[in-house]
Amino acid sequence: MITGTGITKTFKQRGSVLAAREVQALRGVDFAIPKGGAASFIGESGCGKTTLGRIIAGLEAHDGGEISIDGTAMSSLKPKARQPHFRRIQMIHQDPYSALNPTRTVHQTLNAPLTLRAKQTGRSKAWIEERAAEVLNLVGLDAGSVLGRYPHQLSGGMRQRVVIARALTVDPDMLVADEATSMIDVSLRLGILGLLKDLRERLGVSVLFITHDVATARYIGDDGELYVIYRGQVVERGPVDTIIADPVHPYTQSLLSAIPVLHGLERPGDDPVTPTETLDDSVQDEGCLFARRCPFRTDACTAKRPLLQLTEGIPQEHACIHPRRRSVVAQPIGQE
Amino acid sequence: MSAVVLQSTTATMRRNFWSGVWRVLKRKPSRMAGVVIIAGFAFMGVFGPMFFPDQLPGNPDAITQPPSWAHWFGTDPQGRDVLALVITGSRYVLLSAAVTAVITIVIGTALGLFSGFKRGRWDAVLMRITDMKLTIPGLPLLLVLATVWKFSSAVQMGLVLGLLGWGGVARAVRAQTLSLRERGFIEAARGLGLPTTHIIGKELLPSMAPYIAMNTLISVTGAVYSQVGLFFLGVLPYESDNWGVMLNLAVFQAGAMIQPYALGYLLAPLLAILLLTLGIVLVVDAMDEIFNPRLREE
Amino acid sequence: MAQQAPGVRIDGLTVVYKTPAGELPAVRNVSLELASGTITGVVGESGSGKSTLALSLLNAVQPPGRISQGTVQIDGLGDVVGLRGNDLRKARGAHIGYVFQAAQNSLNPLKTVGKQLLDLGRSHEVEDLPALVREAKELLGRMGLDGARVLDSHQHELSGGMRQRVGIMLALVLNAHLVVLDEPTTALDMITQANILKIVREVHAERGLTTLVITHDIGVVAEVADRLAVMYGGRIVEQGPTREVLGAPSHPYTKGLIRAIPRLLGDIDEAQALPGRPPTLTTVPKEGCVFRERCALRMDVCDTVDPEAVAHDSRIVACHAVTVKEHA
Repeated sequence: MITGTGITKTFKQRGSVLAAREVQALRGVDFAIPKGGAASFIGESGCGKTTLGRIIAGLEAHDGGEISIDGTAMSSLKPKARQPHFRRIQMIHQDPYSALNPTRTVHQTLNAPLTLRAKQTGRSKAWIEERAAEVLNLVGLDAGSVLGRYPHQLSGGMRQRVVIARALTVDPDMLVADEATSMIDVSLRLGILGLLKDLRERLGVSVLFITHDVATARYIGDDGELYVIYRGQVVERGPVDTIIADPVHPYTQSLLSAIPVLHGLERPGDDPVTPTETLDDSVQDEGCLFARRCPFRTDACTAKRPLLQLTEGIPQEHACIHPRRRSVVAQPIGQE
Repeated sequence: MSAVVLQSTTATMRRNFWSGVWRVLKRKPSRMAGVVIIAGFAFMGVFGPMFFPDQLPGNPDAITQPPSWAHWFGTDPQGRDVLALVITGSRYVLLSAAVTAVITIVIGTALGLFSGFKRGRWDAVLMRITDMKLTIPGLPLLLVLATVWKFSSAVQMGLVLGLLGWGGVARAVRAQTLSLRERGFIEAARGLGLPTTHIIGKELLPSMAPYIAMNTLISVTGAVYSQVGLFFLGVLPYESDNWGVMLNLAVFQAGAMIQPYALGYLLAPLLAILLLTLGIVLVVDAMDEIFNPRLREE
Repeated sequence: MAQQAPGVRIDGLTVVYKTPAGELPAVRNVSLELASGTITGVVGESGSGKSTLALSLLNAVQPPGRISQGTVQIDGLGDVVGLRGNDLRKARGAHIGYVFQAAQNSLNPLKTVGKQLLDLGRSHEVEDLPALVREAKELLGRMGLDGARVLDSHQHELSGGMRQRVGIMLALVLNAHLVVLDEPTTALDMITQANILKIVREVHAERGLTTLVITHDIGVVAEVADRLAVMYGGRIVEQGPTREVLGAPSHPYTKGLIRAIPRLLGDIDEAQALPGRPPTLTTVPKEGCVFRERCALRMDVCDTVDPEAVAHDSRIVACHAVTVKEHA
């Protein structure tokens, strides 16, 4: 439904007395998210996954590369003409509290986009009310008890559902959830994840899930594609379960190894990878971006930056010149 | 769900808002006192002078009398009852304060919102204008203006003070707009395709209401002092009957600082000004809670 | 001053907060023992009272909250609830090291780390300040940082992981042997989190500490703690050795919580969110079991009688259904 090729984005950092520092947030990223599909971007904070998500949702402009929505290249359209296309992609923010206007009730919040829609499509006021109830129903909330409430009167999970309901009022084709469960209590996260999966199945909406918690990425659908992003570059890409079971790039392996093991319920993975710690933040121009922290690096790694390439035999791509499958993930006890 | 539900929800919300306001005011007795004071002054300004004839009767036998049972604050050099003077003189002050408030809100909010929302060049230009305006010393400018303009009408005074006083509100509103525009719900509103007028009117403004209210009330207080000060300094003619004029006459003609008889004449307008300021300050305390649903509902 | 890692006994602790609806308990009748030299993890969601519990160890509950009942006995200090003024101030820092939630944000942005360290030393009347600085540098080095450079830096020059380590260093530098870490890895990415947890384990072992970790993340506790206590609605519903509690949870909340964690492997349909939502200060039921609204094993007695904490070997569980089953 939406594809991007060679997306680059540079931020100029102000705040330095001398020249403004340039930060390359994205270095030539390719992605493709099919209609009704699921994709996840994982990586540490600052790796560019949020920036990419915002570019996809049309909230930020990219500097280089091309984005196409349903086959139409965005660069061929004038900025105003692009808006209706990006409107089909709605963003779900991380913090449900700041994503809702605290001075407006749920009813008022939903009313605004619905009224606009009604005007555009010539519907009546009654339709607005029905649709509001419908949309709340879709996210598992009872319209009667929630419409008159202010955001502070709802729990975090309910607020997030209202945010999703609001996004649904414009009949989007894709939802971009940026750390949408990070600020919600653990026991309620699956509710939101299940809701996203449910919306995919019921409405055919694609979901892009951005997170640092890899496990959550599975729950929006096991047909999802995982993109592992490091410092603005996609270092591994493939089906979620394949990458979790057989990661090939050392960074992916480090990320998966770092996930806490629930001792007593799980045992540690066979071959965990720990990156060497470095507090040096600078970026070299050439060579693999991860080389400095990579425990398996060789001289060849610092010479040229590896590009994404196919792994033998499976639909998985990686960007490493010494790829090796390792089983790093914690295994459940008693089940093998 | 039907249109009936929609209407009842809006009506219920309006009702809830006002009952919420009542609750907020009841929480601290000082706020109720502030409301009573302001209501009292409003009543005084609108209806007060109606109780008195246009030209207050002066009793030549009772010039500059100290406070007594007959005249609670004594009389002025023309034998007129001071309390009556305060009441009739209130209309000018309060009317011009009201005009100042309106102008300050309208110009300050409009500029601040536009500046903060558009950013970039518009912001830079508008803020430089605001800065220049803020650096213009208000009082000396008023003094200069007073030589050519007599401000006989309260509306004129209010207009000028308003045009001089919107800077503070503009800056505060701009700061709020800048910080709010990055919030999730504003971004979401844009992503949903909601028109800019809606975003500014329905999303930004309600969130900024307490700041606008507070800043306006504070600039009104400043305006009251400015005009009273101008009249006190005697730069403006005594055609208009107001508190500043009374202060001027009390000090410079009735010699209130030297002898005790005219004390009532001096104190009455002073007390009126102080009481009005007090009322405003007490009510400002409630502003934040009134406009923030979370604090209001508690 | 060589100290033994102190043991801690919290007995019947109740902390209440004043609200328009009266005094409501954030922590109710909590009894917990931290054995000398162990790491205990307290897990709870929002509204569970875990942060209030941690503050009580320092007797640092601020108004409108207060400790209304119970004792907190710390070896070498006595009952912390009874300490006041200077004694209390000395106890904090010298005996008890506290690493605040988001320690990353509780450093003074205007002063260098080194200056804040000296402030700390002076306020605790440390005579040998150079020795304190040496100790700090050593601790930072132990945690993988360049001590001298960090001490010369301001807060904004350090990354999140570095700031967290500074927070840990400040908690340990006065040679406290009881350390409380409140949400030590929130806002840190996975790899940094793993590093910090490793440091916590190693420093705990090397310096012979008694450690308490407060968190909402069961994974953190699983990696670090010997003993796990689960809090819900101001009560401890289950506690025991970490592996045992995770491997075979008894309390329905613990079971539900573990089942609600997204997992990397296994069938995604096996995981289930807990129905309902966690209680807040005002919605916690005053009588009966705090968890009954979301419990699949709810019985009539749960509505009226607060379940007592019953010990089964090294496990303590407060649940009517579990007690009934054990006796059956």
